[in-house]
Amino acid sequence: MTSLSRFRSLRSVALLGTAAAVFAATGCAASPTTAPSPDAADPASSYPLTVENCGTEVTFDKAPEKVLTVKSTSTEMLLALGLGDRIIGQAFPDGPVPASLGGDDVPVISDKVPGQEAVLDLEPDLVYAGWESAFAADAAGDRATLGDLGVNTYVSPAACKEAGRPDTLAFDDVFDQITEMGAIFDVSAAAATLVDEQRAELETISPVDGLSALWYSSGSDTPYVGAGSGAPQMIMDAVGLTNIAAGVDDSWTPFNWEAVVDANPDVIVLVVSDWGTAEKKIGVLESNPATAKLDAVVNERYVTVPFAATEGGVRNVEAATTLADQLEALGL
Amino acid sequence: MTATAAPPPRTARRVGPAVRRVPTAVWGGVLSVVLLLSIVVTVTFGPADIRPAEVWGSVLGHVGLDPTLFGGEVLSPLRDGIVWELRMPRVLTAAAVGAGLALAGTVMQAITRNPLADPYLLGLSSGASLGAVAVILLGLGVLLPVAAFAGAIAALLATLLLAGASGTLTPTRTVLAGLAVSSFFGALTSLVIFWSATGDTYREILSWLLGSLSGARWPAVAIALGALLIVGLPLMLTGRTLDAFAFGDQAASALGVGVDSTRWLLLTATALLTGGMVAVSGSIGFVGLILPHAVRLVAGPRNRIVLPLSALAGAIFLIWIDTGARTLFDPRELPVGILTAVVGAPVFALLLFRARRIS
Repeated sequence: MTSLSRFRSLRSVALLGTAAAVFAATGCAASPTTAPSPDAADPASSYPLTVENCGTEVTFDKAPEKVLTVKSTSTEMLLALGLGDRIIGQAFPDGPVPASLGGDDVPVISDKVPGQEAVLDLEPDLVYAGWESAFAADAAGDRATLGDLGVNTYVSPAACKEAGRPDTLAFDDVFDQITEMGAIFDVSAAAATLVDEQRAELETISPVDGLSALWYSSGSDTPYVGAGSGAPQMIMDAVGLTNIAAGVDDSWTPFNWEAVVDANPDVIVLVVSDWGTAEKKIGVLESNPATAKLDAVVNERYVTVPFAATEGGVRNVEAATTLADQLEALGL
Repeated sequence: MTATAAPPPRTARRVGPAVRRVPTAVWGGVLSVVLLLSIVVTVTFGPADIRPAEVWGSVLGHVGLDPTLFGGEVLSPLRDGIVWELRMPRVLTAAAVGAGLALAGTVMQAITRNPLADPYLLGLSSGASLGAVAVILLGLGVLLPVAAFAGAIAALLATLLLAGASGTLTPTRTVLAGLAVSSFFGALTSLVIFWSATGDTYREILSWLLGSLSGARWPAVAIALGALLIVGLPLMLTGRTLDAFAFGDQAASALGVGVDSTRWLLLTATALLTGGMVAVSGSIGFVGLILPHAVRLVAGPRNRIVLPLSALAGAIFLIWIDTGARTLFDPRELPVGILTAVVGAPVFALLLFRARRIS
């Protein structure tokens, strides 16, 4: 089996070039064999369906029926597409699923990434993860091994680390992922409706002008902040904020308080979670004598966004609209 | 620590291996000047674009002198904060931690008569780390220095009890016991992190485990400098005792050193010093192990010379390495522990090569 998985990984490497070509040609991660169009009434997916996902080729013989979701973005994606009944369990949730998406009855298998044997024990036909790192040998298992055992794997394309990573994440990439999920699960009509709704909601935002912002995700000694090419940048672009860490080509990055103080942002976006509350982050900013003098800290110009909505997925539009509302309320 | 504290150069020529001998007083003087210059120069480096004259002006203003002495304009409160609240305490903490770790390493190498000894080998850093990680995860960050002290002492006691359980405290047994304790405390630390880190808090702990001075503010300066002055300074004066240890326990006894009690005392002091440093910087490797050797290569093996010179060299080394950590990938930060090894190992290899060629 080892040699087989090695062969598989070699094959995946060989396919990287092809994958890149496909991405370039179609501008989305959809399968080369199906091209879902928003105009089609209810295009049934034809199986086997092959998609390129973070440089790995994944073939679905039929719509997945027993899905294990890892991280909140994947759980929320399926719930938003009305696929809650396909989820046999979720793992490593970032927080409670918003009431609007339902899914209270989705059992939490593990607070952290489950081990490979625990995953196999559930007999899923798809493991859908929000972070590529979930598919490490010491985590849920590597993708080739799981594939050999008949378990398909899928990583939210916004979280691809190498192959398949969008240069700069845009809402079109998020919508493409929704469309691709629709094709995989044969619910293209629902996906098209969701994309239309989200596009419409996104267009209601009136961006602010001329405001700079720090996207403060976590950390106290070394701040971990939203950088220039991921979901934080995409959301800040949508609401008209200028990211002070835009120069770093990554989704998130360890930053430097001196650079923050030097930039003196107009607004600070606080990413909130159970383990990193807004109060805790404000406490860090106020207790550090250098950051305590920042205009945004002195004038308490904070806006907040829930952690799970800040990773590429179905809640990014909601994150953008709530940020826009909060910015309006600040009256800047 | 300066030229006055060093023995006369005459002695330096008489003892020691056949490396090129520069009078110790000269080394002490040169290193002291380099240390001062390093502080003055590195404080002008950073992601924010502030001119050196303005930086020095800000510092002068805070020590009660005329801020426009170097012709710089008075900085805005925000930019002044960059200099006085972020850079200055960080540079001073780096200096104190570098000096403290190098001292601790020198003392441990002397009393265990093991060239590989440093706070890590005897488990002190692991113990301090466990104490620190535990209070951070419990949300009791204010107790961090105390917890690190306590952890280092607990690890030291465990090491010494384990080593002494089967008879006399021999250097070999001490080192072996240190390894066992170090592994055990290291595993406990990993276990605590594995089970309690939620969401993305692991990042914070990870950068902390790799060693980082990015959180160093004035309280950190107080802790590190305080530990250095209260514990490190007396340790610096134990050179003659350590030199006696170098000839073996029996020789040391014959020279009038109470071997066991002195060893305990010195090890406890080292634990306190290490705890103080780990509390503000995390586990920065390499400094305690390599710098004493580097100093011996150029200044000979006598501890009363090696101790102060190691402290100075450690301070200079860590100031520059940390400046690299905060500016090389500006505006990103690098955990300083990565750089200490990446830069320190080749420098050490060079020194080793040079010393061999000369002898």
